[in-house]
Amino acid sequence: MVYLDNAATSFPKPKRVYERMDRFLREEAANPGRSGHRLSVAAEGQIVQARSLLAKFFGAKNPERLIFTLNCTDSLNIAIKGILQEGDHAITTVLEHNSVLRPLNALESIGKIKLTKLKPASHGVIDPQDIKKAIQKNTKLVVITHASNVVGVIQPIREIGRVVREGGVDRARPLLLVDAAQTAGVIPIDVEGDLIDLLAFPGHKSLYGPPGTGGLYVGERAKVIPWREGGTGFRSESQFHPADTFPFALEGGTPNSVGIVGLKEGVSFILETGIENIQAHERSLVQRLREELKQIPNVQLYGLEDVTKTVAPVSITIDGVEPQEFSILLDQSFQIAVRAGLHCAPLMHGFLGTAPQGTIRFSPGYFNTLDEIGQAVSAVREILSELKK
Amino acid sequence: MSDISRYHRQYLFNKIGEQGQRKLISSRIAIIGCGALGTVLINTLARAGVGFIRIVDRDFIEFNNLQRQVLFDEEDIKENLPKAIAAERKVKKINSQIQVEAIVSDVNFTNIERFIQDVDFVLDGTDNFETRFLINDACVKLGKPWVYGAVIGSHGLTATIIPGETPCLRCIFETAPPPELTPTCDTAGIIASASTVIASLEATEAIKFLTGNKQDLNRTLYSYDVWTRQTQSFKLGGLREAADCPTCKKGKFEFLSGDQTQKTTSLCGRNAVQITRPDNVTLDFKELASRFDQIGSVKYNSFLLQATTGGYEFTVFPDGRAIIKGTNDPAQAKTIYAKYIGT
Repeated sequence: MVYLDNAATSFPKPKRVYERMDRFLREEAANPGRSGHRLSVAAEGQIVQARSLLAKFFGAKNPERLIFTLNCTDSLNIAIKGILQEGDHAITTVLEHNSVLRPLNALESIGKIKLTKLKPASHGVIDPQDIKKAIQKNTKLVVITHASNVVGVIQPIREIGRVVREGGVDRARPLLLVDAAQTAGVIPIDVEGDLIDLLAFPGHKSLYGPPGTGGLYVGERAKVIPWREGGTGFRSESQFHPADTFPFALEGGTPNSVGIVGLKEGVSFILETGIENIQAHERSLVQRLREELKQIPNVQLYGLEDVTKTVAPVSITIDGVEPQEFSILLDQSFQIAVRAGLHCAPLMHGFLGTAPQGTIRFSPGYFNTLDEIGQAVSAVREILSELKK
Repeated sequence: MSDISRYHRQYLFNKIGEQGQRKLISSRIAIIGCGALGTVLINTLARAGVGFIRIVDRDFIEFNNLQRQVLFDEEDIKENLPKAIAAERKVKKINSQIQVEAIVSDVNFTNIERFIQDVDFVLDGTDNFETRFLINDACVKLGKPWVYGAVIGSHGLTATIIPGETPCLRCIFETAPPPELTPTCDTAGIIASASTVIASLEATEAIKFLTGNKQDLNRTLYSYDVWTRQTQSFKLGGLREAADCPTCKKGKFEFLSGDQTQKTTSLCGRNAVQITRPDNVTLDFKELASRFDQIGSVKYNSFLLQATTGGYEFTVFPDGRAIIKGTNDPAQAKTIYAKYIGT
């Protein structure tokens, strides 16, 4: 099997992730921070280490403000629904995944917020000045993906961070929430330098943790009201959930300790390998993929040619071919795993002109080889020559 | 004691008698599937006075059902009734002294035990192998006797399965035959007299079992063709002992566990559903194409077969996966798959 669906979740994981999770679950997995016995204390220690490692990884000064979640969708929901209040205005883009669009659409539809959706320029990049112009006096939140999950085009986060921090008319000072689903682990992110107020990231994609892990960094400027309340193992005498004490404010209940330990191991793998080496390898794969696909007649490539401006997902359409059918053929006749369809980003396909059938998305990851890219491309050629008959 | 005189002609038959009739009245059965077989089963057993009848079916009535599905009429179609509900209404008119429960639902590994756990006997009115194996798993697990029935064209099969005593369905058929070799009613047709005969045999088995006439149950795989009048009885004795059956020998309920279940995925915004088979098949496109050729248009190459029929577009892949366009309801897609491709 050639797995080219890393934008959905990375597979396989580094070997050390499996080994560490197995050992932790067998030998160490007591409930962290709840009891005073040595196992509980040791489990808590692992989570503290994981938190601190991830905070450092994203340039966050205060590790307590990095909370663990179920996945990136969970992180985005905690942030969007915890920040936006009656009468607020939010800005987002048509590049977004449904995990951003649906919570915002729901708040807009009940009349709680006003919403502006910005379009990128033709090459798929949002102009920071458009964000600046869209800021109104009640704009509370700007939500933007760091890179599209359909075409991989990277957004100029640092420039966006700057305009959002500068604010707009009447001293509106919105917060910037970045969806790093496709970038965390492949592109260096520095929440301080990039002026990111909130960073939502999945643990199971390019950070190589298991499914069921994710995180949200909450900067000092952001006030997120928790809507999930419960046991924290902290200040239990209080009738109320501790809303200002991080990380407890946004973490209730027994954490996914096994997953978090796996995530920590995945991040350690990145640090050991070097994020620049991971990025360079992924770029070489994307470059080869784009160059070869481009030469096949009737194949339309989306996104940018310059691989330094994109991350791994490469989307194509083929004239007269249903993406879904094509992906099944790749799977069953050539054992090549890709994803076809809308990739949960419906507005992006309106922008690309690929609605309603969507695209065929190849998303290579660090563990793919140039050889495998070659196999995938020859499979595409072979299927097309058979379909022509 | 309630008045049982309405059943007089039935209990006059000496194998049943008054005592047998009272047993029927206090019996509970489940009929899975309410089509050509199911409607005859319900009609016969409701009239016979079985005290509680549960009917489970997910489909709605269509015009081409009326040719053989005896409980339904044109009014039901005008009202757009689910089969189970229409059958329940008819039963209430036929015999108000019994209890009937209609359940409009797909029958799958998550719910089948609920449908059969409180009945004495289960009857097969389904149209596909996957559900029959599921019934078999659940009945073997819960120790419920059941009767298998299947009809195509003018020909039908039936067997009676008593867990722990007789071979189970998987002792008889280890796996489902490849779909392109299994014609369906929608591709090969069916004549009502054939389904009526098989359902009558099934209903009789239920009556025998429920009235305490176990010794008279069918112990063969019985095959009958109403057109050629050819009859065959395949002896099943010894099969239970000989077969290395995963279900009744090893206690592995592969269908009930969900491992052997078709997976469906709705394709976002496409009014289409993708169906993935659990088993490893390699379809013979030539066979399958000749079947679609009779009822619609079809073309194929070595990678895929595309067919249009009944308002649906099919793209079928060699491993049995299919995209069905024209619906986004997974249950309906499964029905259509069972109808045209088979299980």
